[in-house]
Amino acid sequence: MTTPPPATPAPQGTTTEAVLLLRLAGPLQSWGSRSAFNRRETNPEPTKSGVIGLLAAAAGMAREDPLDELTPLSLGVRVDQPGTLLRDYHTVSDFRDRPLLQAGVSAKGLQKPTSPAKYTHVTTRYYLQDAVFVAAVAGPRDLLCTLDQAVRAPSFPLALGRRSCPPTQPLALGLREGRLEHVLRKEPWQASRRAREQYAAQCGREQELDRPLYPACIDRSVTIEDPEGDDVLHDAPVSFDPYARSFTSRRVRHGWLSIPTGFPRPDTTDDGADEAAGHDPFALLGW
Amino acid sequence: MLTEPRAYIDVHILQTVPPANLNRDDQGNPKEAYYGGVRRSRVSSQAWKRATRLHFTERMPEQDLATRTRRISSALAGLIGADSDLPAESSSRLASALLAPLKISAGKKEGDTAYLFFYGRRQLSAVADLVRGRAAELAALDDAELAAEIDQLPVQEKFSTGHPMDVALFGRMVADVPALKVDAATQVAHALSTHAVELEFDYFTAVDDETMKEQETGAGMIGTIGFNSATLYRYASVSLHKLLHNLTDEEAAVTAVEEFVTSFARSMPTGYGNSFGHRTLPSLVAVVVRTDQPVNLVSAFEEPVGAHSGIAAESARRLAREYATATSVWGDTPAFTALCHTFESSGKIAEQLKDTFAEPVAFPKLLAGLRAHLTDTVKRATR
Repeated sequence: MTTPPPATPAPQGTTTEAVLLLRLAGPLQSWGSRSAFNRRETNPEPTKSGVIGLLAAAAGMAREDPLDELTPLSLGVRVDQPGTLLRDYHTVSDFRDRPLLQAGVSAKGLQKPTSPAKYTHVTTRYYLQDAVFVAAVAGPRDLLCTLDQAVRAPSFPLALGRRSCPPTQPLALGLREGRLEHVLRKEPWQASRRAREQYAAQCGREQELDRPLYPACIDRSVTIEDPEGDDVLHDAPVSFDPYARSFTSRRVRHGWLSIPTGFPRPDTTDDGADEAAGHDPFALLGW
Repeated sequence: MLTEPRAYIDVHILQTVPPANLNRDDQGNPKEAYYGGVRRSRVSSQAWKRATRLHFTERMPEQDLATRTRRISSALAGLIGADSDLPAESSSRLASALLAPLKISAGKKEGDTAYLFFYGRRQLSAVADLVRGRAAELAALDDAELAAEIDQLPVQEKFSTGHPMDVALFGRMVADVPALKVDAATQVAHALSTHAVELEFDYFTAVDDETMKEQETGAGMIGTIGFNSATLYRYASVSLHKLLHNLTDEEAAVTAVEEFVTSFARSMPTGYGNSFGHRTLPSLVAVVVRTDQPVNLVSAFEEPVGAHSGIAAESARRLAREYATATSVWGDTPAFTALCHTFESSGKIAEQLKDTFAEPVAFPKLLAGLRAHLTDTVKRATR
């Protein structure tokens, strides 16, 4: 568990800008942006459609509901722990025990069964394993306040890009003031305790020390929505309506931010307490 | 928008599986994933959901389940005919008229639909009930008048509410008729081992009985099977409000939760079952009902459990600690908690589990408690 987020301040009735922070962490995540039928890919970072979809689900919106309010929100994603790619082998069969259909269509536009008959589709699903992201959503304060509450008591179950990837807690880190980039720069590193300890140990080794080194800052990559940005991502949702599902592109800028590592931090767990106490040779001598 | 009350039923399970290969990848080896920087055994959510669903459908009365058939039209005609004294021809004309608004294309044979329609038996009776007592009157109308009359009836609504339990829990996709899609009320996570796991190989030789007789030596065949053994953390969450929405029946929603928890706890994927005989029961089942948000406790095992002590017991301790931290830090007290475990009742672990979750009870009693709580929740909301 990381430190609890501060309670969200009460809505103030003004339409000032704010930033909602979400910690997207779980053993598996999958953020698809252009998936064909039997190859379900994941982007290396959460997509805007994924994050907006999560917020819409939390707020209890139906797929057909207009997204007008949510699409203008701008998104910044910080990669706190990049994770690695997992390829999952997955098979699908027709429940009627019938052969699957051919990929091509006849002149009439019909698909014929495969010949020789083929009964199982192999589909490949990609996941990100062991990753942690911080998603920052900037927009009108009132709206974000509602969304923050919604994420804490969601209408629909939330998922990290795919239904089988439930998030671990804490998901909502609360609202922050200021510009998106500034907020992302100030928020402490959200990687797991183990990952942070390993980083400290590695820093120590690099400095040829026999003990871990706890630097105050670490560089993490970010992707921030910016109309002047130099890269284009095709992952901004227009509608999730199954009849009229569509996406558009948005401009982003990639970069690095030096963020606080959160070392040294208070240990709340009991086995962490001995570590913090360290070794006291004088205690052995009874001095 | 949604049927209140909002409640999520979180199911946390710890289950130790002996050497097994429950769920294979394309190399034939057990599926794996990295978490907390180490390799873990993984059983995909799809695999365990299928096992749960099979276990579920085997035990439920047929009335409560969905059926897949081409013969929906003749089934409906049969129901209408049983209620009235219409000739068979008229009742099948009524049945086709009732199904016309769904735009299911007709099949080659009389009374068939072009593809298998997946519906609940109760839903079909509800549709038949729409014309109960009026069958003779409707049958007398000509085609245009009949279509106009049928248009007034909520046929589509009968098919999009009161879904059978398995559809309500696990969802349904109907490619041709999107109005009949049902979003699942359950969310199942991939099962992950609480500790680091290495893939192992069983090298085997098989004896050829016929060559044995002729005093030939050597194996008939050789091969390897990948396997591992693991203590798995399994998590699933059911949203009660979604179930109520899908089922439109309070009693059925409570039963569906109870049956789902039973099937999720007792089922197991059968992969390589005959080679490994891996059927076990969970060593811990904790059920937590929350009105705020589902809480997946897999982060308890981000730091992998070490092999120096009993892994199941240490996993249970970690789970209890994570749960306690989650409730104390977030201040969200769950509405209901129930626990069932197999650890020594006088031991330290049992005490810790009791302090954090609840007094342990036998599994049937856990279900009874859950049922009582949910019935109460639903009643209070509708009062």
